[in-house]
Amino acid sequence: MMMLWGHELRLFLRQRIAVPALLLMLALSCASVWAGLAEVARQREVIERIQPKQAKDEAAIAAWVAKEGDVGNAAYYTFHATWDSPSSLAFAALGQRDIAPFVLRVRALPLESQINESENYNAELALPGRFDWAFVLTYLAPLLLIALLHDLFSAEREAGRAVLLGVMARSTRALWLRRIVLRAGLLLLALLVPFIVGAVIAGSTAAMTAIVAGIAAAYFLFWIALCLLIARMKLASLANAASLAMIWLAITLVLPGLALLAVNQAIPVQQGVELTLAQREAVHAGWDKPKAATMQAFVRDHPEWKDKATFTGGFHWKWYHAFHYLGDRAVGEQVKAYRTGLEARDAWTRKAGLVLPPVGVQVVIHRLARTDLAAQLAYQDRIRTFHAALRRFYYPYIFNETPFRTEDFAKAPRWPAQKTGQLATASQERK
Amino acid sequence: MSRTRLIAANEWRLMRRNHVARLALLMLLALSAIATFTSIAHRAESDALRARFQAQADREFDGQPARHPHRMVHYGHFVFRPMPALAAFDPGVDAFTGNTIFLEGHRQNSANFGDVRQSSLLAHFGQLTPAFVLQVLGPLVLVFVGFGTIARERESGTLRYLKAQGLAARSLIAGKALALGGIAALMLAPALFSLGWLVVVEAAPLSGALLLAISYAIYLLFWVMAVIAASSMTRDARSALLYLLGLWALTTILVPRIAPDIALAATPLPTRLETDIAIQDDLRRIGDSHNPNDPHFAAFKAETLKRYGVTKVDDLPVNYRGLLAMEGEKITSRLFDKYNDTQFTVQARQGDTATGFGFLSPAIALRSASMALSGTDLDGHKRFLEQAEAYRYAIVQELNRLQAEAVTFADDGNRNKDPEAARRVRIDPKHWHDVPDFTYRPASLDERLRAAVPGLALLLFWLAAGAAMLRLASRRIGAAL
Repeated sequence: MMMLWGHELRLFLRQRIAVPALLLMLALSCASVWAGLAEVARQREVIERIQPKQAKDEAAIAAWVAKEGDVGNAAYYTFHATWDSPSSLAFAALGQRDIAPFVLRVRALPLESQINESENYNAELALPGRFDWAFVLTYLAPLLLIALLHDLFSAEREAGRAVLLGVMARSTRALWLRRIVLRAGLLLLALLVPFIVGAVIAGSTAAMTAIVAGIAAAYFLFWIALCLLIARMKLASLANAASLAMIWLAITLVLPGLALLAVNQAIPVQQGVELTLAQREAVHAGWDKPKAATMQAFVRDHPEWKDKATFTGGFHWKWYHAFHYLGDRAVGEQVKAYRTGLEARDAWTRKAGLVLPPVGVQVVIHRLARTDLAAQLAYQDRIRTFHAALRRFYYPYIFNETPFRTEDFAKAPRWPAQKTGQLATASQERK
Repeated sequence: MSRTRLIAANEWRLMRRNHVARLALLMLLALSAIATFTSIAHRAESDALRARFQAQADREFDGQPARHPHRMVHYGHFVFRPMPALAAFDPGVDAFTGNTIFLEGHRQNSANFGDVRQSSLLAHFGQLTPAFVLQVLGPLVLVFVGFGTIARERESGTLRYLKAQGLAARSLIAGKALALGGIAALMLAPALFSLGWLVVVEAAPLSGALLLAISYAIYLLFWVMAVIAASSMTRDARSALLYLLGLWALTTILVPRIAPDIALAATPLPTRLETDIAIQDDLRRIGDSHNPNDPHFAAFKAETLKRYGVTKVDDLPVNYRGLLAMEGEKITSRLFDKYNDTQFTVQARQGDTATGFGFLSPAIALRSASMALSGTDLDGHKRFLEQAEAYRYAIVQELNRLQAEAVTFADDGNRNKDPEAARRVRIDPKHWHDVPDFTYRPASLDERLRAAVPGLALLLFWLAAGAAMLRLASRRIGAAL
């Protein structure tokens, strides 16, 4: 039995295209894993790097604010850092992390004008997409698989050996199976080994690594099935190769492009701009509204400050924070609609993934790697929770009119280390 | 010449019988048509939406009630980046950059709500635009249609007969290239229609559109030559197909993705958060407006008093708070400019590194020229950011000047204690009307051409490379016949 396998292996490796294809797969996989690991390391380094800078910035603000002890100044001038650490699988699928911020500072003023801030990035470099392992798997691996499998049967036919093989082999089915497993299996191995090494370095769990490897294998099976389907038409090797390349073009480039057009056309998301414009109007109209009415509206949502909502004079931080809060609240419905639109786009993409295997593979891997739109929205949710905690932290000082001193700066809520369903934490904690 | 045409005509007849070639070509033409119509519609819609938002923002600014000028500094303004007409052909980085910025005093906000950030990861598969269809899919279709043109003749042995009939290798190659070139011209047709439409209906600059057409023609011509050369130099048609597919995957899919990674690793960009902290840090060092004994602001005060020949700020003929606001804004704006310059320099260096890979990939060369000519390259976005910042500075300083001249120092100081002073500091809203609206100045044709030079030069390099390959192929065939 082993001898047969060894024999097939020798036959396969003697083909002109075999060794170059396998080496190319290995090199591409290695390069993409390396690039992904380097990018994730850079992102972690940025998050590490901002901590002392942030601390210094806070200390500098504390130095002058604490002298007067005015909490209004503390809340106005202190920006609080948030960040979204890459998961242990992010190296394999960098996703939207290059265009959406993964570090963002917020302060206790209205959130809607802060949460959609962008990161500085070079748009021309983001345009073609990143070179990561998920890209190698979805686009390049099928091409190499086609190169290795398109003449599986036709080559023997064209060489006049097909009939002979059929007669000589104990089981032709076993023979072809051996050949397919050998060709596709070696290619899969060349793709997966660098990934597994990368996953170990990145501290990914064995289960996660196995799931991704399983997805890659399933994706290979899909392409093998396609190759066999085309082979059934008994065309020449040449026609096989051309047909398969055409199919590759259609399902990896053309149909996803059409799907994007359809999804973005069907679900417009201009609510983002609209709510931003509306929120500014709502906030600034607050300056001109009767103060008593503003405080009443604020107290309805914050009954705990019912007895402290009065003040004298033309300006008070209580009032300032009340109408800023109301500005955010005024666009609550639009925020929800915007969010629903983004989620609908994501949901339709998942549906497209059910029909188009390349999209499906990308969807699943990016979900596992927490680098998709949903992950971006989840980060925003955590920022919302954090922002609410910030307001809750400052309100007692503002409404009780307690002086805000140096030691109070240290009491402010801190951005929590990731824990919500983040499979990455296990490895992070180990470090 | 007639022989060349005869060979071409014969080749076209064969192509019509080739199912895969026909299917590939039809698919490309259909996609081109879809991309053309959706792109034109999308550009028109987006541009109209942005214009509507801009008009709304202008209206809302002008319609503000009587206010203290500093309230208006914080009320701020929104500006939107219009989409150039040729963006309907090649939207470039438009979707990757925010198209609106909130402008206010003391702060510089980011451009937000870029399409891609609001899209699912489908955006990573590429956007179906006329430019994308020709840049990425066009060469592949040429490969499908043309890989066998000469290799097939060699395999079937007809190459010898042609030689026996006294056909020169040059005529053969020229004929085959003419046939495939005809296909390329057909593929270019929808793009030409789209460009023509944009020139006529959307008033796109004619010379820009012409140069775009020429750039794409050169690009496709390179691929025609590469396909013919590969088809004549390989052992059989299948090898030609595999080599060409490899070349396409390498130059059109792989290198364009690797180039940015290398450029980013070579010159990293600081995050907004870090820049923000650095600016705050610099500000505190230059002059801390919160510190009453700060040397910079003490000197500013002394100088102001001296200029007006008074001894107390109360005696100034203008509102000292307004002057202070103007001085503060001047300092912060200078820092914004300084950090922006650094950022733009880094981005330009990254761009140069990535464009350098145009020596390995004609697709990179074409994309660079195409975006520059369409006015949708990073320079276009940078221009928007710079103009928005200049506008921000102008309106903030105008409002600060109003605070200095139309609000008295005494009223300004008492506005929270004395309701009458509070009423007086709210100045006439006609001033908001007087603040000019934002008008975006797009890149001039001259600037676009200059930005397109590296890409165009690289395309010419590829044209020369293609011609050299073809010559080599012709000589080889001549020797082999």
